[in-house]
Amino acid sequence: MSQLPIVEIENLTKIFKDSDNPAVNGVSFKIYKDDVFGLLGPNGAGKTTTISILCGLYPATSGKITIDGMPLNDKINSIKQIIGVVPQDIALYPTLTARENLEFYGAMYGLSGKNLKDAINNWLEKLGLTKAANKKIETFSGGMKRRVNLIASILHQPKILFLDEPTVGVDVQSRTVIIDQLKELNKQGTTIIYTSHHLEEAENFCTDIAIIDYGKILIQGSPKNLIAQNTNAKNLEDVFLNLTKRNLRD
Amino acid sequence: MKHKLWAVIKKETLILIRDKIGLSIVFIMPMILIIVMTLVQESAFKTLNEKGIPIILVNDDQDTLGLTIYRGLKSSTFCYLHDSIDGKPATSITAKAAVAKGQFLIGIVIPKGATQAIRDNVSNLVNETLVPDTIETEQNQVKIDSVNIIFYIDPIAKKSFITSITSYMHEFIAIVKTQIMFQTFSLQIADLIPNNFKKPKNTYDKSQIINYKEVFASNLTGEIVPNAVQHNVPAWTIFAMFFIVIPISGSILKEKKEGSLLRLLTMPTSNLVLMNGKVIVYVIVCTIQFILMLAVGIYILPFFGLQSLELGNNLLAIYILAIATSFAATGYGVMVGTLASSEQQSSIVGSLSILLMAALGGILVPTYVMPQIMRDISELIPLNWSLDGFYKLFFRGAGVADIIKLSFKLIAFFIATMCVASIVNRLKHKL
Repeated sequence: MSQLPIVEIENLTKIFKDSDNPAVNGVSFKIYKDDVFGLLGPNGAGKTTTISILCGLYPATSGKITIDGMPLNDKINSIKQIIGVVPQDIALYPTLTARENLEFYGAMYGLSGKNLKDAINNWLEKLGLTKAANKKIETFSGGMKRRVNLIASILHQPKILFLDEPTVGVDVQSRTVIIDQLKELNKQGTTIIYTSHHLEEAENFCTDIAIIDYGKILIQGSPKNLIAQNTNAKNLEDVFLNLTKRNLRD
Repeated sequence: MKHKLWAVIKKETLILIRDKIGLSIVFIMPMILIIVMTLVQESAFKTLNEKGIPIILVNDDQDTLGLTIYRGLKSSTFCYLHDSIDGKPATSITAKAAVAKGQFLIGIVIPKGATQAIRDNVSNLVNETLVPDTIETEQNQVKIDSVNIIFYIDPIAKKSFITSITSYMHEFIAIVKTQIMFQTFSLQIADLIPNNFKKPKNTYDKSQIINYKEVFASNLTGEIVPNAVQHNVPAWTIFAMFFIVIPISGSILKEKKEGSLLRLLTMPTSNLVLMNGKVIVYVIVCTIQFILMLAVGIYILPFFGLQSLELGNNLLAIYILAIATSFAATGYGVMVGTLASSEQQSSIVGSLSILLMAALGGILVPTYVMPQIMRDISELIPLNWSLDGFYKLFFRGAGVADIIKLSFKLIAFFIATMCVASIVNRLKHKL
C-alpha cells in the first residue's frame, strides 16, 4: 500500500431535504492509492449516500472532498474522467445486446474505434461472456448481468472504481470471477472503493475497511487489525455485529 | 462529442426499433386513426350532403305552397323526404309519433289553407297598392286567419340541421309569396289597362337573374375542394405526432427506473448530449410519422372511396412546418418525461394533456365554432399553430413566408420545454 491518499474526505455531511436526520454525519477518512477500500454498514447506514456524493450524483451539504488532488466541487468533470461506477442496480438496457450496451457506455467514457472494440472483447473474454456478447441482456441470468454491469464501468481503465454491492444476488461462480477480476484490476493500479453486505468477501478482498452506521464512521483499519482490536471477534462479521449491534434496521 | 452523440442516437434507435409496442404506437396506430377518423367524418358529411336527413312531410295544404315545399325538399340532397309512414299517408299525429320514436329527424306539417292564407295576404297588399285612395280599402280587405307550419324535431337533432330546414322553409314561402304577388299584380294591371297589356308567361322564372356560385378563396392554381380528407389528415397527423410524448417520456423514465440514467450521470458526458441524441431520434421518428400519414392520405384513403389528399403548391414549406412540429412534439415529450415520476404518470398526463390541447387547438372541433374566450386560448396551443399552418398550405396555397412565423413559434415552444426540462433536472439532482 502506498501512502498517497487518492480520496480525502473531511467532515462530510449530507442532509436530504425531506429528512431531519443527516444521512451522512461529519464523516472523515482517507483512501490510499491502490487500496481496496471497503465501506461496510447495515441498511440505511449511509454507504450508498457517501459513494453517490463521491461520484458527483448529489452535492454534499457540507464538508470537503478531494479526489486525486482535485476538489470535487470544482473539478467534477475532470474527476468523472478518472472514475468508474458500478451501481447496485443492473444499469443496462435490457433490449440491447451485451456488446451494444458496452459500446454505448464505452463511448460515453470517450472510447471509440479499435480501442473500444479491443477493450470490450478483452473484458468479455475475461468474464466469460464472449459467447453471449450478441445476446440481449434481458435473456441473461443474474450473474451474467452483474458481470456486464461491471464491464460497463471498467472499459476505460479508471483510476478509481466505485462498486456498490457488486456481487449481490449472484451465484458463487460469478462472484468468484468478479472478485478475481477486480483484484487483477487493482493490481494494474485501480483503487477500489466497495460496499457490500458479504462480510466474508470483504474480509478477504479489502485492504482497508471502514464501518459506518447512522451516518458516522465507527472504525477504520485493515481487516486483520479490526479483528485484533475487538476482543472475542473471530472474523469481520463479529466486529461488525459488536459495533452495529443486533437491532433491526429500516 | 460527435462520437458520444452518435452513440446516443444509435442506442435510442436500437431501443426504439426493438420495442414492438412502442413502434405500433408511433407508426401503426396513427395510420389507423387517420383512416378511421376520416371515414367517420366523411360518413357524417355524407349524412348531411348525399344521403340526407330523414324528414316526414304532412302536406295538408295540397296547394301551391305545399307542392313547392314537397318538390323543393324532394329534389334537395340535404334531406331524404317521406310523406307516408308504414305505407299510410302521414298525418300530424302519426308524424309526431314517428319523430318521437326516432324514425325521422324532423317532421313538417303544412296546414290546410296555408297557400290561401298567402294569397289573401298578397291580395290585401295589392289592393292597398293599386286601388285608388278614394275607395275605402277596408271594404276590400279579406280577413286572414294566420296559419302555423309545425316542425316536430327529434331532441337529438343538431341545431344546425334545424336552422338549415327552417331556412329552406322560409325560402319556399318567400318564393310562393313572390309568385302569387307577381301573378296577382299581373292580373290587376291587366284589368286596369286591358288593351295594351300582354299577359307574361313564366315571367317569374325569368326574373331569377341572380345565381349563387361557391368559389373557395385560395392562391392555389388548381381548385382544392374542402372535404373530410383535406381537413382530417393534417389535423390527426398533428395529433398523432404529439402522441410521441408517450414513447419519449417512457424512454426517459425507463432510464431512470433501470438505473441507466444514474450511471450516465457519473460519466464524463453532459446531459445536453444525452438529451440531444434523444431529440434527434424522435424528431426523425416524428417526421417519418408525418410522411407516412400524408402517404395514407394520398394513396390509402382513395381505396376507401375517399378523395386523395392534395398537398398544395409548396413542398418546402410543408417540410419546414413538419420539422418545426416534430421539434415541438419532441420537446413536449422530454418535458413530460422529466416532470413525471413514473411511466404510469407520464402516460396518463401525456395522453390527457394532448387530448386537451387537441380539443383547444381545433383538432377535434374547428376553432371558428368556439366561443371567443376559447378561441383566444386556442391561439396559445402549439397544435393550433401547426394546424393553422397546414391549412394555409393545403387550402390557401400559402408559401414559406406565410408559415415561417408559425414555425418559429413551434421552435420557441420546443426551446421553452427543453429549458423547463433542464431546470427540473438540475433541481431534482440538488436533493
